[in-house]
Amino acid sequence: MSPVTLAIVATVAPAVAALLLLVLSPLRHRGAPAAWVTLLGSLVSLGAAVMLLVARLGGAPDARATIPWIEERGRAMAEIGILIDGVSLPMLIIVCLVALCVQVFSIAYMHDEPPRAFGRYFTLHALFLFSMNVVVVSPNLLQLFAGWELVGLTSYLLIGFYFAKPAAAQAAVKAFWMTKLADMGFLFGLLVLYVSTGGFEWTSAPSATVATWVTGLLFLAVVGKSAQFPLHIWLPDAMEGPTPVSALLHAATMVAAGVFLVVRADPLFALAPGTREVMLWVGSITAVFAALLALVQHDIKKVLAFSTCSQLGYMVAALGAGQAFAGFFHLGTHAFFKALLFLAAGSVIHAVHSNSLDDMGGLRKKLPLTTAAFVIGSLSLAGVPGFAGFFSKDLVLTSLEGKASWIPWAMLLGAAFLTAFYMGRLLIKAFWGELSERSSHAHEGNVAMTGPLVVLAIPSLASGFLGGWLATQSSAQYELHLGLTPVLASVMSLAGLGAAILVFRKGGQAPFTHVLEKLDTFSVVDRTWAGAYRIGLLGVASLAGWIDRYLIDGLINFTGWSALEGGSSARRLQTGLVRDYALLVTVGVLVLVLIGVLR
Amino acid sequence: MSHLLALTMAAPALAAVVLLAIPGTSRTALRVVSLIGAVISLAGSIWVATLYDRALGGLQLLDTVPLVPSLGIHLKLAVDGWGVALLLLTGVIIVTGVLASWSVAKRDKEFFLLLLVLVSGVYGVFISQDLFIFFLFYEIAVLPMYLLIGIWGSSHKVPSAGPFGFTWKRFEVGSREYAAMKLTLMLLVGSAAILVAMFLLWSNSGARTFDMQVLEATKFPIAVQHVVFPLVWLGFGTLAGVFPFHTWSPDGHASAPTAVSMLHAGVLMKLGAFGVLRIGMVLVPDAAAWWAPIVGAVAVVNVLYGALCAASQKDLKYIVAYSSVSHMGVVMLGIATMNAAGWNGAVYQMVAHGIMTGLFFALVGLVYERAHTRTIAKMGGFAHVMPVVAGFFTLACLSSLGLPGTAGFVAEFMVFAGAAKGASPWWAIPGVLGAFVTAVYVLRACKTIFWGPAPVDEFAHLQDVQRTEWAAPLVLGSLLVVFGFWPKLLLDFIDAASQGYLGRLPIVALAQAVTP
Repeated sequence: MSPVTLAIVATVAPAVAALLLLVLSPLRHRGAPAAWVTLLGSLVSLGAAVMLLVARLGGAPDARATIPWIEERGRAMAEIGILIDGVSLPMLIIVCLVALCVQVFSIAYMHDEPPRAFGRYFTLHALFLFSMNVVVVSPNLLQLFAGWELVGLTSYLLIGFYFAKPAAAQAAVKAFWMTKLADMGFLFGLLVLYVSTGGFEWTSAPSATVATWVTGLLFLAVVGKSAQFPLHIWLPDAMEGPTPVSALLHAATMVAAGVFLVVRADPLFALAPGTREVMLWVGSITAVFAALLALVQHDIKKVLAFSTCSQLGYMVAALGAGQAFAGFFHLGTHAFFKALLFLAAGSVIHAVHSNSLDDMGGLRKKLPLTTAAFVIGSLSLAGVPGFAGFFSKDLVLTSLEGKASWIPWAMLLGAAFLTAFYMGRLLIKAFWGELSERSSHAHEGNVAMTGPLVVLAIPSLASGFLGGWLATQSSAQYELHLGLTPVLASVMSLAGLGAAILVFRKGGQAPFTHVLEKLDTFSVVDRTWAGAYRIGLLGVASLAGWIDRYLIDGLINFTGWSALEGGSSARRLQTGLVRDYALLVTVGVLVLVLIGVLR
Repeated sequence: MSHLLALTMAAPALAAVVLLAIPGTSRTALRVVSLIGAVISLAGSIWVATLYDRALGGLQLLDTVPLVPSLGIHLKLAVDGWGVALLLLTGVIIVTGVLASWSVAKRDKEFFLLLLVLVSGVYGVFISQDLFIFFLFYEIAVLPMYLLIGIWGSSHKVPSAGPFGFTWKRFEVGSREYAAMKLTLMLLVGSAAILVAMFLLWSNSGARTFDMQVLEATKFPIAVQHVVFPLVWLGFGTLAGVFPFHTWSPDGHASAPTAVSMLHAGVLMKLGAFGVLRIGMVLVPDAAAWWAPIVGAVAVVNVLYGALCAASQKDLKYIVAYSSVSHMGVVMLGIATMNAAGWNGAVYQMVAHGIMTGLFFALVGLVYERAHTRTIAKMGGFAHVMPVVAGFFTLACLSSLGLPGTAGFVAEFMVFAGAAKGASPWWAIPGVLGAFVTAVYVLRACKTIFWGPAPVDEFAHLQDVQRTEWAAPLVLGSLLVVFGFWPKLLLDFIDAASQGYLGRLPIVALAQAVTP
């Protein structure tokens, strides 16, 4: 098959699965068959992606094909299609592989759901993979936007999967609104690009001003989707969704779409140093801020959620430094080790029936495999030398060297210490120490649960060594050199782990825990947005509603009222008495005569 | 089939005549005959679409019968690309609307009769090429609404307040009689304006004719145009919900029974927008170009203000009604851009909004029929008992907020692109903001009604979609997705007409020359 056909198959296979499940409701309602249909779709996608990779390793060139989507006078105003190159192909494989692992894991994890809910869950997964693939293979920004919004939809529906729970329902709409608010930037960016270039290509812009506008607006959407400060608040709440969903959407792939967008639109961002400067700072602030909050979470998923925010901050900072490849590389390794961590967390939650770290403890004895997976993921995330996360994080940090300001570099180094520290805390609290009451009944899940952990552990360990190959694919420069930054980063991660052992082994608390908990529970950012929503939106809306009902429609009523009242008044002239009419006629004639005489 | 258009238009009216002969007691026969009339008209519309040559464009399937030659009045029927798209919309909405009214109990014979007559009027407007006939059909479409709402509608109470609170003594604000009266009076004032504009065109055409093709070819004096355009804009605009003459719409749509809301918001409001486009923009283009900035500015008020009003409503039907005000603002915005993207988007939005709001009202009617309340705060957790309704309601919400993959996105995107490319790019900003506010209010309503813990005992046994009720969600829901992924299906027709009429606008050549 030609690369174009393969790419189309990879994109559309999950859509076919989703459509089948949507239309054939008995299939969906039976539960288990839905899982098989979805898995088959994902497997076909992954297979096609791997075949594309094999062809590429054999020297196949980039593939691009488009068809007109919205036409105007026979000319395409907007196109859709596929683009397979050194950026989209690795991304496609990462997405399909992680999705498949998560879906297999879900079969075991969601086993106790009623069949209808089970079927709905897998239908949404198929829809998600399709939407994500639309983003990944898109040849232009408009299609990317369409896929971007569709993954937002599946995210909304999957966060709200347990819709009977008010917290889940609230988290779902919050996630949708926050990202939609940011997505207005994407839409405006598209409009500016369309007006100035007549199309939606990311290849170039006519001027630096246009590029700054477009990239600035696009970056707003990135802040929303990739949960950057101050729009990050939806991501911790999104943990209300099922844990495998958190692994796939809210850690490995969907939230990374923002980073992917910037990597794709790199030619535009290259023309906009101002935007990059902002990105550098936003990323650095998010990396530190979220890492600090991760330190005081008691919900195992929330630790990981804040950690995701923080790591996305690393990627955004690298993009801001103009090193798109560094961001992309970290996206790739992060996808593996964070999906691994979330699935391992799912395995823990499945075993102890609680999200709270306080209910866990000593799990290492009961869940040896999960523990091993979690340790590998944690060390990779912490950036311990040799693990995948080390290589990519090192590249991010190196890319910040020699910039105008050394502060972002220092912030990210500090965040590296914090990362190791909070992961050490999590490991010790959940897996070491005394066996807790709940932990004592824990046992490993079946092979559907452990299998994906093993599969994901491999790239979490080893994908760092693929950096060189990945770099040549997107024609970037990459070499591992022994300088100050890698050494410092290694020291930071080991120091963080060491500090965690010292502090938490005896059940101690991190310094400043009190302050950080205040910051977490008071959540200034959350409250600001809630206030803006209540006053800025609902308040203005109530005002508009009142004006419409009582002023504008009031005026209409007043018009009707005037006609009725006026008629009633005029009716009094109609007395029916001849003498009144005679009087009026006489007066009238006299007045007329008078006017005639006076003229 | 030289009389295909006439047949399509007349089929519902003929079915209405047959209804007269059926005794009111044979309820199934009444419904079947109504359905047959509706289906024939839909089939006719589809046939028209297949016969229409998109590459050729222009007016096709011409069918002329002289009526009053001395006054230049002919029954001249023909269809352009816009007409084809709107015929299809009308056909789909009337068929699903009849099926959604299967359970109407009160005076059902008269109900279906009026509904069918009304629809014939709607078809007539979209295919009339004679201004007099156009107006006649327009009135046939608008007037039955008074009875349909006044007799079959529902009432509620609106507390009096504000500086005009004293007028409440005269009216029962919120009652169905009030809603029907307000709607009819406001639309009739609009009709009066249209009538004046019509005669101005007739007397200034030189040929003393209502033939729209002759009028199109006539270059009217600019002074006449400047009188005609605002009359047409506000006259037809009242029906399209143009601010501040939109207030009949929330009360009217909230009071109207299900099928009537579907038809009224789904199709009738489009007559207004179609009138502004077909009569205002095409017949008096010079004045239109002058007035366009004002039309656009008012349209963005519609979009944003309508969305904000919708966000403040507590009654489900009012939310959907105000969302129509907001979405019709998108249509008017597209019309005001006076370029191809904007006009294509405007007509596409007419269809997209028609389907979406038809779906909305069908589902709201379903919920109301079972739960006997429209107050959102009283509902909750309905997804547990009516998952199908919940699913389709979500789909309608998504199209409403312009999610890619639904028809709403294609339409809104084209309108915003047209606006951005046009003379006043800033229009796109409130437009996009309006779409965001829409996301807030539709998803909030969706969450409150359908999500949450299993419903209270009162609502624990609500039934999901049954038998004929499947038609509206299934047909309208799938169309939203099909037109969302495959815009070419409709766009080829719409674009053919837009390009033809745009060729007449001197200003367009200018605008297109400026942008690369």
